[in-house]
Amino acid sequence: MNDLLLMCTIAGRDAAIPALRVQTVLEIDAITPIPGTPDFICGLTPLRSQALTVVDCALALGFDQPCSSPERRAAVVEVDGHLYALMVDSAQDVSEARSDLVAIPGGLGEGWQRAGLGMVETETGPVVLVDIEKIIAGPPALAA
Amino acid sequence: MDELLADFIAETREMLEQSGTELVAWEADPSDKARIDTIFRFVHTVKGNCGFFDFPLLEKLSHAAEDALAECRAGRREADPALVTAVLAIIDRIGELADLIEAGEELVEDENDKALIAALEADAAIEVQSDVAPVEPVSDDQDDAAPTAAKRNTVQRSIRLPVDLLDEVMKGVSDMVLARNDLARRLREAGEQPTIDGPFERLSAILADVRTSITRMRMQRLEHLFSSLPRLVRDLSSELGKQVMVDFEGGEVELDREMIEMIRDPLTHIIRNAIDHGVETPAERLKNGKREIGLLRFAARQSGNQISLLVSDDGGGINTERLGQKAVAAGIYTQSEIDRMSDAQKHQLIFEPGLSTADEVSAVSGRGVGMDVVRANLERVGGSITVSSKPGEGTRFHLHLPLTLSIIATLTVSSGGQNYAIPRSYIEEIVFGSANTVEFAQAGARRLITFRGRRVPCLSLADVLGTEDNERCEWETKTLVLVRLASDDVFALAVDRVHDHEDVVVKPIAPAIMQTKLYAGTTLLDDGTPMMLIDLPSIAQMRGLVGEMRSKPALAEEQAQQKTKDAVPLMLFRGLDGRRRAVRLELVRRIDTVSCEAFDIDGKRAQAVIDGRILPLAGLEHGTLPEGRCRLLRLSDGDSELVYAVSEVLDAAEMTEELVVSAEDASIEGVTLVEGKPVPLIDGHTLFFRHSAPKRIEHPLKCRIPQDSDWARTILEPLVEAAGYRIADEDDEDADLAIEIAGNAAPHGPAKETIRLRPDPEDAGDGSIYRYDRESLLAELKRVRTGRAA
Repeated sequence: MNDLLLMCTIAGRDAAIPALRVQTVLEIDAITPIPGTPDFICGLTPLRSQALTVVDCALALGFDQPCSSPERRAAVVEVDGHLYALMVDSAQDVSEARSDLVAIPGGLGEGWQRAGLGMVETETGPVVLVDIEKIIAGPPALAA
Repeated sequence: MDELLADFIAETREMLEQSGTELVAWEADPSDKARIDTIFRFVHTVKGNCGFFDFPLLEKLSHAAEDALAECRAGRREADPALVTAVLAIIDRIGELADLIEAGEELVEDENDKALIAALEADAAIEVQSDVAPVEPVSDDQDDAAPTAAKRNTVQRSIRLPVDLLDEVMKGVSDMVLARNDLARRLREAGEQPTIDGPFERLSAILADVRTSITRMRMQRLEHLFSSLPRLVRDLSSELGKQVMVDFEGGEVELDREMIEMIRDPLTHIIRNAIDHGVETPAERLKNGKREIGLLRFAARQSGNQISLLVSDDGGGINTERLGQKAVAAGIYTQSEIDRMSDAQKHQLIFEPGLSTADEVSAVSGRGVGMDVVRANLERVGGSITVSSKPGEGTRFHLHLPLTLSIIATLTVSSGGQNYAIPRSYIEEIVFGSANTVEFAQAGARRLITFRGRRVPCLSLADVLGTEDNERCEWETKTLVLVRLASDDVFALAVDRVHDHEDVVVKPIAPAIMQTKLYAGTTLLDDGTPMMLIDLPSIAQMRGLVGEMRSKPALAEEQAQQKTKDAVPLMLFRGLDGRRRAVRLELVRRIDTVSCEAFDIDGKRAQAVIDGRILPLAGLEHGTLPEGRCRLLRLSDGDSELVYAVSEVLDAAEMTEELVVSAEDASIEGVTLVEGKPVPLIDGHTLFFRHSAPKRIEHPLKCRIPQDSDWARTILEPLVEAAGYRIADEDDEDADLAIEIAGNAAPHGPAKETIRLRPDPEDAGDGSIYRYDRESLLAELKRVRTGRAA
């Protein structure tokens, strides 16, 4: 397996997003909040002539604390024709997966277990590969 | 029909191109079944289409090829090189014929065609006898093809494109517009730079043109929709034992592709209703002295950025009596309410959910799901539908549709520090919460307002969106937007401020946001920030406002208003001195709010700049302008406009009481009572007499003045122009007036009258006027002008 991964940090942990799905990584400038939406949806941000839905990955995984970073980096992905900006603590480089996806005995822990596809080995050690669709669906209470 | 033909040709060509490679491969291996299948499909499709268009030659050729190939497919015949060559020749011929059809030429069967077919049919025999014969006609044919092929290049003027690609280009252009706007803002900030501004203007103009062209690319002629209707009408009418003829008008009108798809279902429904309920049976029609064949007419035309589509039948019209009974039976209205309704109002009943005039439920219509859904669907895309009907003569449905789906006229409002867009089609009226005609009340947890005797539920947008609690809401500071939904349900939406009208391009939003059921889409403003489009029907649904407070009281209200229709509508306001005054509502064009920079006051002269125009400013006699922003009533007498400064706009009212005329004060028509209090009514006549700017004269008279005199050009010219003249130049052959100045050369060219000016005050006794004798000069100019104009 040599899939490309976008290495990032979500809720303080190393994680990876399938890089082929990521259109670009941007630093979010201004977010227009949308009242009435669940917390993990931060709002909309414009990218060229399109509005991206900004999703806070940490909140979407079900953690209490939102993503915190000064530069507000986000990975832009498209799901069902809609564009989303997945906001993470930090986004680093793209690197290659060194192993196949493996499930970890005993699971990945709350939050991660639901939205994680499994674990992959990389240069910098094992990371959780996240499931973009699950993140966009939001935390379990809302996804249900 | 031309459009269909063009489609047919384009499709045939496309298939020819695709089958080109297949053909070569088949030639290499004639026994390849997959290739045979592909080519068989091609000739089969052509054959099918030909039957539709009535091209017997084309049909004959493709039919022959199809037969031969079918034999091969069935295994009754081996495909051999001779057959391949013969089929190839036929396919080439089909391509040629398609060119001829496009060029509008007659298709004449010639010897070659017979030979082509013979080559196929004779094939089995040729196998035994000879293997040369079939090739011959093919080579002949190709010689003939050469000139036609050359013609093809000049003929082919259209290409097919995937819609996705168009959308992508459209998006790119939208991006360019945003980038342009951004650049424009920066340029404005940087100040005037003639070297950049010029090209930038040009770029903007080009961009606007490109945008229009791209929008047109997405358009489709209504013909596409119309062409499918005759079949539908035929099927329905034969099913129902009626005879109906269809007539179309305005098929060339273009509409957004998506919009055409959106109206297809509603239109189908209207047709069903018309044939089922409207058009009578042939026997009945004859009895009523009509032609036994009913007529269904469709007429479309474009007006501005709207399309109006009229669907009319010449059937029996809407049976209002039966409709009324049904409405009572369904419990929607009481009999007394029905009795009070006008015919037009009764016709509107067909849009009520759960009503149908058909006694028996037929397979076609009459299931009571119908016109209400049609109306809701049309309104969802920003359109509207009205109905009118005459008993015994027929029914007309009038549909209004926006040109495109994606652009919606909206009102921008703000709540909780953020801007939102509301579709304008729902908005009925806007009132200030502070206006004393609005009363707030509370029933249980529901807020109500009473406005013009109507009690409507009131929602706060901030509460709906969850940004502010109703408890903390200061209702009096809000602006209320009265919303009327398709179902005729009315409610008030309280927002912090109403900003502006804006046409926005709506984009879809992510499912997670859709789930809130609060928003219908999003749009990007010129500066690139997103703004949410509020989904009013959905909010009303969630808050249980639909169908709860039915529009019955409103109906009674409407009746009452019709009775007092003679009352003069007034607009109440507070003048700058704080006193209540009124002005006839018909004079008021709109209400502007401007900052004090827009005013130019110098002594007695007062003007305001609004929308790039200078308008006379009135109302200052009552007090001084407030600091900062000021409200202005823009009044118009039909020709000229002026603005009237007020401290506050109160409300619309009706003058029902007597007007007590005051002889003392010419600035008011008189004093009347509104809600028991005296209100002076401003006299529009005096107001416009005092303040209106002289109207620009449509056809100014031409006046020649000496060209070689500086005095004439700099001092005389403005005076003459102000008196309603145009200075004639040398190209003008005749002039109405010439002004000569003693000591200067006389103006060139003829003139009907002449005024002579002299430089000295002393009367020279020659009928000339001293050049600074302003009054005499103006009087003379006026005399000539009125004399001429009369």
